Amino acid sequence: MNIQISDSWLREFIETKATPEQIEECLSLCSQSVEKIIDDRGEKVYDIEITTNRPDCLSVYGIARELAAILPRFNIPAKLKDVPSLKIEKPRKSLPLTVKITKADLCPRFTSLIYDNIEIKPSPKFAQKRLNASGIRALNNVIDLSNYLMLELGQPMHTFDYDKILKNKMILREAKEGEEIITLDGQTRKLHEEIIIIEDGKGRIVDLCGIMGAKNSETDENTKRVLLFVQTYNPMKIRRACQVLGFRTEAASRFEKGMDPEGVITTMERATLLFKEWCNGTIGSDLIDIYANPQKEKTVSVSKEKIDSLVGIDIPITESEKILKNLGFETNIEKDTLSCVVPHWRYNDISIQEDLIEEIARIYGYHNLPNVLPPITTLDKPKDTTFDWEYKIKTALKYWGFTETTSYSMVGKNLLDKVGLNPKNHLKISNPLTDDLVYLRTSLIPSLLEIISKNNEQNIRIFEMANLYLPKGNENLPDEAMELTLATTADNYSQLKGILESLLKELGIADFEIKPIDNWEDILRTSMVGIYIQDLHIGITGKIKKEFLDNFSIKGEVLVLDLEVRRLLKFATNAKKYIPSSKYPSIIEDLSFVIPEHTFIGQVIDEIKFVSELVKNVNLIDSFQNTRTFRVEYQSEMQNLSDNEIKPIREKIIKVVEKKFQARLKD
Amino acid sequence: MLKDQIINLKIEAVGEILEACSLDELEKIRATFLGKSGKINALTKEMPNLSNEEKIVIGKLLNETKKTIEDVLRQAQDKLSSQKENHEEWFDITAPGIKPQEGHLHLVTEAISEITSIFASLGFRRTRYPEVEWDWYAFEGLNMRKNHPARDEWETFFIENLENEKMGRGILTPHTSSGQIREMEITPPPIRMINIAKCYRRQSDVSHAPMFYQFETLVVDKGISITHLKGTLDYFAKNFLGYDRKTRIRPFHFQFTEPSFEVDVSCGLCNSKGCKFCKGGWLEIGGCGMVHPTVLKNCGIDSSIYSGFASGWGVERNLMMKSGLKIDDIRLLYNNDLRFLKQF
Repeated sequence: MNIQISDSWLREFIETKATPEQIEECLSLCSQSVEKIIDDRGEKVYDIEITTNRPDCLSVYGIARELAAILPRFNIPAKLKDVPSLKIEKPRKSLPLTVKITKADLCPRFTSLIYDNIEIKPSPKFAQKRLNASGIRALNNVIDLSNYLMLELGQPMHTFDYDKILKNKMILREAKEGEEIITLDGQTRKLHEEIIIIEDGKGRIVDLCGIMGAKNSETDENTKRVLLFVQTYNPMKIRRACQVLGFRTEAASRFEKGMDPEGVITTMERATLLFKEWCNGTIGSDLIDIYANPQKEKTVSVSKEKIDSLVGIDIPITESEKILKNLGFETNIEKDTLSCVVPHWRYNDISIQEDLIEEIARIYGYHNLPNVLPPITTLDKPKDTTFDWEYKIKTALKYWGFTETTSYSMVGKNLLDKVGLNPKNHLKISNPLTDDLVYLRTSLIPSLLEIISKNNEQNIRIFEMANLYLPKGNENLPDEAMELTLATTADNYSQLKGILESLLKELGIADFEIKPIDNWEDILRTSMVGIYIQDLHIGITGKIKKEFLDNFSIKGEVLVLDLEVRRLLKFATNAKKYIPSSKYPSIIEDLSFVIPEHTFIGQVIDEIKFVSELVKNVNLIDSFQNTRTFRVEYQSEMQNLSDNEIKPIREKIIKVVEKKFQARLKD
Repeated sequence: MLKDQIINLKIEAVGEILEACSLDELEKIRATFLGKSGKINALTKEMPNLSNEEKIVIGKLLNETKKTIEDVLRQAQDKLSSQKENHEEWFDITAPGIKPQEGHLHLVTEAISEITSIFASLGFRRTRYPEVEWDWYAFEGLNMRKNHPARDEWETFFIENLENEKMGRGILTPHTSSGQIREMEITPPPIRMINIAKCYRRQSDVSHAPMFYQFETLVVDKGISITHLKGTLDYFAKNFLGYDRKTRIRPFHFQFTEPSFEVDVSCGLCNSKGCKFCKGGWLEIGGCGMVHPTVLKNCGIDSSIYSGFASGWGVERNLMMKSGLKIDDIRLLYNNDLRFLKQF
């Protein structure tokens, strides 16, 4: 949450010669970050981001209090000033008001005071200007006063027209299901249990506590008597209310962070002064102060040893003490331990020794600490090498002409429909951002087809490596399976298979098997084949069905190669083995066969290799109609080969090929 | 006499050959002297008129002359043809080269690889943890109890019908910090973790994509201090962004670290003088802090013995801070426009 505060306002509470730029730097380095300094018609306005743990800094005074501890560390004198205020004195005659709080934990501290003789008019110019600079529109002196005080001291408050509270009675309670309130902004809001409200003596709901007042009790130009509320609410209740109502006000954002009950009276006294100065108001009632469980003193201790070991340098304990004292802690040193009473405005934020160490270190100055590398150490677990393999695969594909894409893990129903995938088999996001980011994908193929369709280019070769999310029931996290998918409009089957072969070789995998698949449940592909290593299915390759391509308006063919990376990497190895080259030359000859249609040539090659161990290599070098020409390389480790040795092998090759495949040697 | 004629012929031929400037000229010279009706043959025709003694001497001389002319001619031909090669092999050095087919890695892949290796040089190990995660790991275990206002910072996606009694609701992890709990749960200290993964938040604008990458460091050991955090993150920034970049840490707040910090790096565009891209010469690079004792306790680590630090930064944000890249909308990275992807 950001606040904007004017430089002149800040200086009402701190006496210093620091320039706005010095304030910006020192505050950012040691406390809350000044995001920028805005120039508002000649006045500097600080835009400060306040972290959620520091509601005490959500005010001009809170920032001044921080600066008073910080600036002297930079050798810039600074002194916190008192908050101008008026003591609350009993009036001669007190206007009546009875207050009942149904549950003490709804409202830890409740105070109220009635101001009489109010003159409604515009608030002073300087106040209007400051409110504007803080992003709040000035309306009239009473409304402005509550906003002004919220920004100045941090405590939200609410003003009612006292005469609109019927029967002078208020009951603070939780709303009932079905009740409604019309808030100040004119909206009718349906209430639920857990939401804190106030009803008056006639049962009208007059306040949506901590969030916004009701229309029926607001101050207007005729208001003469103002009932001022300064209280703290149960932060969880306020937060819950904002969530169910779906709206949040600046007051609510403060209350849900937890306000300081001990600061309430200071605010009341300050308000009393401003009511007098801005509205000519006088105190018209006794102060009502309901504070069932006053905050107990809280002490937190930390040892010098702990401070030094967490900060990383030696800080004299007296220096730590001085820092904490300047921040409002009451301190006591016993041996090497520093005991600190937490100031009331930091009550919720400081609980453990690490909290104190943070205070010491930030004011000491993080910029004053050296940069030190942690020692290198032996880790008691093996390195996960899969990241290296994945990178190697991606790099290889890059050099083979493929471009890596990265698409969202979520896809829309529309995309699943295009490839006939059932949304029911996917994890679904219950609060998606858009319709096309709803289901966690179980295949990368639809995303890649969409990319091909979106890019109006010829010869697209793309790949993506990403997790698939395979559901495992309602009580288990899904299986996150790393998948590699290549899609190409530029390659034919042989070329894509070549990529696969080279890829496996890069991974040190020598043997794999390709089998046609008939009944693959995934109907994305036609003419599809499965890829196996040692009988483990590691992926598929094939063409995408034409009807699906039509759904993407893709013309031509798309081939895909889809690999389960985890399975693939089970076989990946860096192990190398040296095989000495033969001293004897090889003999090469070509054999041409006429082969029947639909013969798997891979099997023919395997058969030829199997004939003799002197057959070192078999390559398909030419295909024409039904003729296949193989180049066979014979080589021995022991001797020079002559035709005498080769002849029987050749004859056996011919015999085997002719017999097993009904082929015929071509003359 | 005949003998002199032959010697003169030789001198004449050699002279002409040496003066010849082209292969065509040499061919003419060859024809003139060595051709069928050339000068050597013409002299040979006079042989029958000679005495037997003379026949031997002249015959020998003619052969020598012929061979000499042939040799000289060949040398001259070689010389000229090599000159011709040098001369005629003009080629256009400015014509485009013929490239091997080129592909492209995604910018984020490159960045992740670089980040991994920088941290590897400090002894950090990369880990892999779930993207679809339980509330416990992403929030509760990180000291953010249900309904805590701090949770608002993480615009979280929830998964329908995914809930576990102990672990809470199933969500898409909004940060890599869930990996802290995962790592500490299974790894006793010392820990040097770098967890780089996809994260998801319900927001989309020029600086936010609903899916993005973070990298999380986690160090847990005896005596780990703020100075170690500063040293490590400064080392990273200098190696990733440039050795001239400076870093600083500022107070911040996270529920799962105490103290917490935000890290700034000096702006590379204005040399930390202050410009419209930075705040007074500094750019926010990401959050970090000393692991909260409650978080250590949640993972069974004794905070009186061990301490640690953690940081969780956006990969894209760091990538975009590299000088010169000039990507103005993070979502460009995930549009998969090939005209974009092929630039890198």
